[in-house]
Amino acid sequence: MRYKLLVLVSLALLILAGCAPAATPAPAAATEAPAATEAPAAESAPAEAAPVEAPAMSESGLPEVNPLEVTGDIIVAGSSTVYPLTEAIAERFADEGYAGNITIDSIGSGAGFERFCVAGESDISNASRPIKDSEVESCAAIGRTPIEFRVGTDALAVVVSPEADWLESVTMDELVVLFSTATTWADVNPDWPAEPIQRFIPGTDSGTFDYFVEAVYGEDEEPILSAANTQLSEDDNVLVQGVEGSKYAIGFFGYAYYQENAELLKILAVEGVEASAENVDNNSYPLARPLFIYSDATVMAEKPQVAAYINFYLSFVNEEVIRVGYFPSSAAALETAKANFLAAIGQ
Amino acid sequence: MKSDALVLPRMQVASGGNASPLRHRVRWGERLIQGFLFLCGAVSILTTVGIVAVLGRESLLFFASPEVHLSEFFGTTTWQPAIERFGIWPLVTATLITSSIAMLVALPLGLAVAIYLSEYASDKARAILKPVMEILAGVPTVVYGYFALTFMTPLLRSIFGRDVVEIYNTASAGIVIGILIIPLVSSMAEDALRAVPDSLRQAAYGLGATKLETAVRVVLPAALSGVTAAFIVAISRAVGETMVVAIAAGAGPKFTFNPFEAAETMTGHIVRISGGDLSYDSIDYNSIFAIGLLLFVMTLTLNVISQRIVRRFREVYE
Repeated sequence: MRYKLLVLVSLALLILAGCAPAATPAPAAATEAPAATEAPAAESAPAEAAPVEAPAMSESGLPEVNPLEVTGDIIVAGSSTVYPLTEAIAERFADEGYAGNITIDSIGSGAGFERFCVAGESDISNASRPIKDSEVESCAAIGRTPIEFRVGTDALAVVVSPEADWLESVTMDELVVLFSTATTWADVNPDWPAEPIQRFIPGTDSGTFDYFVEAVYGEDEEPILSAANTQLSEDDNVLVQGVEGSKYAIGFFGYAYYQENAELLKILAVEGVEASAENVDNNSYPLARPLFIYSDATVMAEKPQVAAYINFYLSFVNEEVIRVGYFPSSAAALETAKANFLAAIGQ
Repeated sequence: MKSDALVLPRMQVASGGNASPLRHRVRWGERLIQGFLFLCGAVSILTTVGIVAVLGRESLLFFASPEVHLSEFFGTTTWQPAIERFGIWPLVTATLITSSIAMLVALPLGLAVAIYLSEYASDKARAILKPVMEILAGVPTVVYGYFALTFMTPLLRSIFGRDVVEIYNTASAGIVIGILIIPLVSSMAEDALRAVPDSLRQAAYGLGATKLETAVRVVLPAALSGVTAAFIVAISRAVGETMVVAIAAGAGPKFTFNPFEAAETMTGHIVRISGGDLSYDSIDYNSIFAIGLLLFVMTLTLNVISQRIVRRFREVYE
């Protein structure tokens, strides 16, 4: 009897274990499993690669890279916002023949610079903000001079449920109140419903949280964290579900997640400016932030694979950046990045 | 050591004369197995000691830091370590709400199932039902979590209205935890009920009691200690349940007694906070150990109470 039971239970467990991944989309999306991410890359990259390669190289104004000839490993660490972009480029690099390992750690911009400038462990640092003077100094202390490459722009999407028919746009002042002291929507604007605001915001470890606090509250975390009815999560899907699920909810996260769920959410214009490629490009959208990668000339000289990867990155970033869900940086910014690269490799 | 052991039996055999040589021979295989079994037992004890030590040390660091006062910890109702608010109550109330709802679901249902299985069910029905219940116990809790979020929450919202029930709420998490622990309650309670000797049932029938009267008035009181123990183990399980609340109950500490609002339980908070990259030695990091210690104390207390009850109310039948 007992034995039979045991067999039954373990059988059931086995069957369930098989089903579990299908029932749990969130963890699957969170892992950087190559199988999950390979699919889109595989459909786009090989098809484009052959015909596009030659003209793109000459257009890019950078020396040609043949990923097949590149050997050695590359270590990247930093911003979780830049992570998907760096990963997409790394996949494309591998698809075109690079056989080494690219390790990309998604640990936040600050922690990324810590690795790059203090420990000197990483070759490239992902960042969703410009490097600080203090970080440049610590880099100098270990003999590194960070070189900045602008790779794109992210816009924070402020979203509500499509059922929230009373607003299309918010001002920065309204945002300040919405995510801190206001209890009901009517507290912000008497024309809005007198229903409690439900807030869904990224967790305190994320760069998105830091950026929002910096842009809206001037780096003071106190107001936003002491707000009532606030759900914080590092998992953006939790936020999407939360905002989608209630009429009186509001939340914010990276534009990429809005784009993935555009039909479930309503994005608000900020100060009357919509989050569009054009408005991000001309700096009129107030919640846009630059995305960077940083490296160092000595590292690039000692590890040619790093230089090759950055070269490849800058050549193809504008093709990948939209697919990942961000906006391309302006033509001038990309030219500067390329000029920085050429200067760093001494050409 | 080795030579001692070898010499000893020979000496005894020599002096004892007619003592059985089998009794004193050292059987190495036997000793090896004994030692191995002892080691297995020791591992679980050492693990417990290790866990208590780590929890204790890290929480001590938390309580010793100048930002934290015990009076604030137990006396205020905002938990937000990032801005140095350390009132534990929002997490505790959320835990209590989810566990109470879980018990409201699991106790009556679990007990009813146990009474049915032990008193009413034919052998054939039991042979099918029990394994099915055990399968329910084998479902990974993450599946239950999504069950709560994608089935129970919409159900509650369709009953009580979308504006009353928030998308993340403690009620749906509590109900699903209740379903999750039904097998635990029913199988432990059933064991207790079945352990009651048949002579008691026969006697009750002999006095003209119906089947229901026998089950509820004779068998259940006789098995009270076992049934209570089952309940208390189930409560500890509900208090400690993590995955369901992490997915369905909410992701922000909130001091509320409304089960339809989102609130974060102690376990849910630990999961969320440790999921990000917290730096060691930060107060946030140490705070999760303090929560862990409090949880440990809560479940330990419950288990001690359950043992007391078992001992106090145990009815012994010869």
